[in-house]
Amino acid sequence: MGAVGQVVAGRLGGEWRRLVRRHGWTVGVWGLLVLLLLWYAALIPRFGPFAIASIAKNSLPTAYLAVSQAVVVIAGGIDLAVGSMMVLANCVSALLMEGQSFGTTVLIAVGVVAGATLLNALVGWVIVTSRIPDIIVTLATLFVFGGAALMVLPSPGGGTSGGLRFVFTGSTSGVGSNYWPSLVALAVPLAVLAAWLGRTRTGLSLYAAGSDPNAAYLSGLNTRRAKVLAYAIGGAFAALAGLAVTAITATGDPKFANAANGTLNSVAAVVLGGVALTGGVGSVIGAVAAGVVLFILKPILTAMAIDPNTAQVIQGLLIIGVMMVAGLLELRRRRAG
Amino acid sequence: MSTDLNRRTEEVAPPAVARERAWGRLFSDHPLLVLGGVLVVLVLVTGAIEPDYLSLRGLRNTLLLAAPLGILAAGQTILMLTRGIDLSIAMVATASAYVAGNQSPNGAGVAIALALVVGSAAGALNGVGVGVFRVNPLIMTLAMAGILLGLFTQWAQTFLQGSTSVAPFIRTLGGGSFFGNRVPWNVLVWAGVAVVVIWGLRRTGLGRMLYAVGDNPEAARLAGVRSWQVLLAAYTLAGFFAALGGLLLAGQSGAVDLQLAQNFLLPSVAASVIGGTSIFGGVGTYSGTILGALILSVLNSMLTFLNAGQAVKQVVYGTIVLALAWLYAAVTRRE
Repeated sequence: MGAVGQVVAGRLGGEWRRLVRRHGWTVGVWGLLVLLLLWYAALIPRFGPFAIASIAKNSLPTAYLAVSQAVVVIAGGIDLAVGSMMVLANCVSALLMEGQSFGTTVLIAVGVVAGATLLNALVGWVIVTSRIPDIIVTLATLFVFGGAALMVLPSPGGGTSGGLRFVFTGSTSGVGSNYWPSLVALAVPLAVLAAWLGRTRTGLSLYAAGSDPNAAYLSGLNTRRAKVLAYAIGGAFAALAGLAVTAITATGDPKFANAANGTLNSVAAVVLGGVALTGGVGSVIGAVAAGVVLFILKPILTAMAIDPNTAQVIQGLLIIGVMMVAGLLELRRRRAG
Repeated sequence: MSTDLNRRTEEVAPPAVARERAWGRLFSDHPLLVLGGVLVVLVLVTGAIEPDYLSLRGLRNTLLLAAPLGILAAGQTILMLTRGIDLSIAMVATASAYVAGNQSPNGAGVAIALALVVGSAAGALNGVGVGVFRVNPLIMTLAMAGILLGLFTQWAQTFLQGSTSVAPFIRTLGGGSFFGNRVPWNVLVWAGVAVVVIWGLRRTGLGRMLYAVGDNPEAARLAGVRSWQVLLAAYTLAGFFAALGGLLLAGQSGAVDLQLAQNFLLPSVAASVIGGTSIFGGVGTYSGTILGALILSVLNSMLTFLNAGQAVKQVVYGTIVLALAWLYAAVTRRE
């Protein structure tokens, strides 16, 4: 009896260790997010639905971009153009949606997502065909998409319908206390993507192509298709980020700094979220949590009456600190192993 | 069977095909020839658009632009050889320019020295993060850029408020020219950097180790290379070159602001890549990067002459960078 118990406990222990190894980082990031939320709740005088709704809707663009980057990085690439794809989607949608009915704006939104998907699939095709490193191709498209956004909308403007604003922000005026629509707008696409990535053959092929493209190719996987697919999905989520910006601000803004910041945050979120830049490791769930963590630092530091520039310094130090600790842990594990 | 077929076609290849193959081999062995050709074509096209350009004065403007870019790209090339990248060079350059502006009342010598020290220090911090703590270079330098931006945005409103202009000597160095106003001074600085970098990469121990660490880190480690020291040196050098580039830019524009070097980050990476430096490490030369910097500068002049708006300029610039990288990859690929 005792022996059996020991065996069961041992097996459970092994299972547990495997779970921790596989999902430990993701759980840790979600824990950090919860801690930060609690801290924020304690910091501000009135923490209620309004504060939650504000965080839920304003973190949407960062969260979508984190997912977009995560999918591409998992498949062994990196997309430095996600930020400018977001800005392009923002400008195109705001320009077309101004003064339109809800139905028309939804059709436009679908069209923008489809367009971004195709455009980024083309980027993926260029990468696998030319065999130029991902980072170079997407550095170039960062410029191209940013310029295209400026062509579409030379100065901030445009608009959208109240209905579309409700879909992303929970209120037709963009300001309110209803946080459910924002949460649903993030959770539904995320759940679909996570299930597809983890449970289907094609989804898993992204992991395989990212972790060892040669081995994946030799085992009969179409690694080129996997990569193009990853870029296409990344484009769709970057477009969602752009639509969220349109819904939150009701304008399109072609400023290049927005694009650059979006890309920076997405890369930082992916790394903090436990997705290895070498490919094949990590989950979109972890990346989303890290994206929201990066976003929420700003309101927390503002609530502590810290100057936004100091906040930027603190954010940078935090990212470096976390990565240094992770690097040291990895080094120790390798020495021990 | 298929190899047999290949051999046979080679034996009986008609002269035209053979000649084509010889050209192909020439280009793939000396890709710099192709880059030089691209540069000449671009200069001629620009000359066709604006005949004034094909004078020493027209070329002067291109060189004036190319020198700071080439110096910033020197740091980028060195880091790419080690499988690294520095996304903070634009902010390091700006920070050093602010330091130079702040110290200019104490004389140009002090200002230049302190600016170079600050730049190298920022680079060394990057090197500690990447070399010792094994932080991914992309993340380390991105975060460094964010930290510097936050610090200097604050300081620019407080004690650096009056530090927006640099000493006359730096202004001459960055924007002036000699030989009857035909050759910019900053080209001389660039030439000095070029000689040191090309010689250093070829002939010094550090140069060889940069290639070794980037080509195969594990083999380099087993051969006894202390890679953290090599990386620390590489990132410090990149910081130094960023500071030097920042000084020239500050001298050229005459004033320092937070956007000083912003537009040079992506071109510095692009110049190295067009010049054939592999982002995966171990492959590349600084002579290629020099050609890359010249090509990008001529391209910039051309787009200016075409009176293209910022939007069109960005799209064309990005597309051409992509096309050139593709051309380079296609030419040098061996079947």
